[in-house]
Amino acid sequence: MSETLPEPIEPETAQAASPSAPRPLSLRGRAFKALALSPEPPLPEWLAGLDAALKRSPTLLKGRAVILDCAQLKPEPDALETLMNELRARGISVLGIEGADAVGAGLPPLLLKGQPTEKVEIPSVPAEPPQPVVTSITVEGSVRSGQSVINPTGDVTVMGSVSSGAEILAGGSIHVYGALRGRAIAGAARNPRARIYCRKFEPELLGIDRLVRTAEDMGTTLRGKAAQVWLDGGNIRMASLD
Amino acid sequence: MAKVLVVTSGKGGVGKTTTTAALGAALAQGGQSVCVVDFDVGLRNLDLIMGAERRVVYDLINVVNGDAKLPQALIKDKRVDTLHLLPASQTRDKDALTDAGVARVMEELREKFDWVICDSPAGIERGAQLAMHHADIAVVVTNPEVSSVRDSDRIIGLLDSKTAKAEKGEEMEKHLILTRYDPSRADRGDMLKTEDVLDILSIPLLAIIPESQEVLRASNLGCPVTLNNPLCAPARAYADAARRLKGEEVPMSLPVERKSFLDKLFMRRAA
Amino acid sequence: MSILGIFQKRNSGSVARDRLQLILAHERAESGRPDLVLQLREEILAVIANHVAVEPDKVKVTLERGEAVSTLGLDIELPLGAAAKLDAKLAAKLAEVAANKGGRPGSSKKAA
Repeated sequence: MSETLPEPIEPETAQAASPSAPRPLSLRGRAFKALALSPEPPLPEWLAGLDAALKRSPTLLKGRAVILDCAQLKPEPDALETLMNELRARGISVLGIEGADAVGAGLPPLLLKGQPTEKVEIPSVPAEPPQPVVTSITVEGSVRSGQSVINPTGDVTVMGSVSSGAEILAGGSIHVYGALRGRAIAGAARNPRARIYCRKFEPELLGIDRLVRTAEDMGTTLRGKAAQVWLDGGNIRMASLD
Repeated sequence: MAKVLVVTSGKGGVGKTTTTAALGAALAQGGQSVCVVDFDVGLRNLDLIMGAERRVVYDLINVVNGDAKLPQALIKDKRVDTLHLLPASQTRDKDALTDAGVARVMEELREKFDWVICDSPAGIERGAQLAMHHADIAVVVTNPEVSSVRDSDRIIGLLDSKTAKAEKGEEMEKHLILTRYDPSRADRGDMLKTEDVLDILSIPLLAIIPESQEVLRASNLGCPVTLNNPLCAPARAYADAARRLKGEEVPMSLPVERKSFLDKLFMRRAA
Repeated sequence: MSILGIFQKRNSGSVARDRLQLILAHERAESGRPDLVLQLREEILAVIANHVAVEPDKVKVTLERGEAVSTLGLDIELPLGAAAKLDAKLAAKLAEVAANKGGRPGSSKKAA
């Protein structure tokens, strides 16, 4: 970054007092931090690099104070004009130019005595925007009381048991190859086709999509058996697997 | 290098301190050098059960703070000289036990003894977590009763996630001790069955300790139950447990209280 | 079961009661002056250090809380030749420190 510091200008001295004399103008120095773009030859390659960065992060230079540092490029006056047009075309407005001997008319002012400040990190954005990936989680052991297993984007499979006081929340289906004694909520991401399967049915609470049923309303016929749970119409249905 | 054992449960009042004292004494009687450590802060229990309450000078917090060296804080048992106690602090707050300080003390204990048995306080907060953090083996004490079983399950979950072993990706060796087992209530179906508890908790059974007045009697006298009356049913069960911990194959049995002639004569035992 | 066994069983409750009364009396007394033993040890070590160089590890402190009297034991390993330096003055100084700090150590009340 370069600090820009306008040359201090002497305030105009006041005229001899007369009733309608204009107020004297006061000018003061202010220092700001700006981003410096330092193009390097060959210019077309540098412009390609700029385009790639802007493609990854379109708002990289949007609304930022940008200084054009010509020290490396050392362009001729008309080359400078062309460069300015290229930058303008990319939506980059240049506040001032440094590293050049003189600037032509119609261009941003020449800046002197720029000071470097801290390096600016361009945030590295992954090449492709991340697509929502559907995943499945498998728990090798048991899920103990107080533990939660949450997978909003897919199925959850538990090889052991789910204890009373434990909780499974899945965007997809839930498969328990042991006893289900805790809470199981499947289809949490608006997926009414999700199901819950277990080898020993003793849950505290079941849910599919937005519908929930507690142990009180489950009856006793399925207790201890292998069962599956699904949504039919607007109702939670439960049946033995055997 | 020692084996570090934690005796934990989640639920209070199920028999952790009794178990710590009984197992410690049984192992020490078998020739092992043992240190039992009270990890409670603010409530001191193990010293009372061991009968050392009148000899406590320094405690775990004194050693962690550097007020005393470990050998000065250790209290040697008067009955078995390979058995030592590191008492808990009665007066200070739980933040005085720092992770680094406790780790240092545990290292020192590992070098001095064959077995270090950590008596965990009830609950799942700092004292309980500190007690389990450095353990190689966990003994989970459970009563055949619903809230005890659920709390034990919670503790097992913590053993698998909040310990040094878990952080290294290693599995901690866990054992279940079922305490306060009442055979007559079990027969009547008035008590959770052992198989049900094992099915729910899914850890191997180390011992079943029958309900017995001998436990209360031993604590009244300030003596671990395995030393006070080695022939009573809970003492024999704890002795078997100690042998299993050492790697011996001991068939599981439920020791039954041997009613003596005089007991039957007096019918009611005066505690 | 022997006759002695009967007596033991009858009395374990009263043994418990006596133990509790004793230890609670001590704990209530001590709660007014925490770390008494620590302070005593530090000060006594300082007094000894004036005369003889002693390592803190070589000082063992024991305490036995009794019914009428408690016993504070100090086991100090002195370096070779140091014993000769100890005289009655030092012994008196130690007693003075102990008396000032704790009154009579182990003053216990037998709870009614």
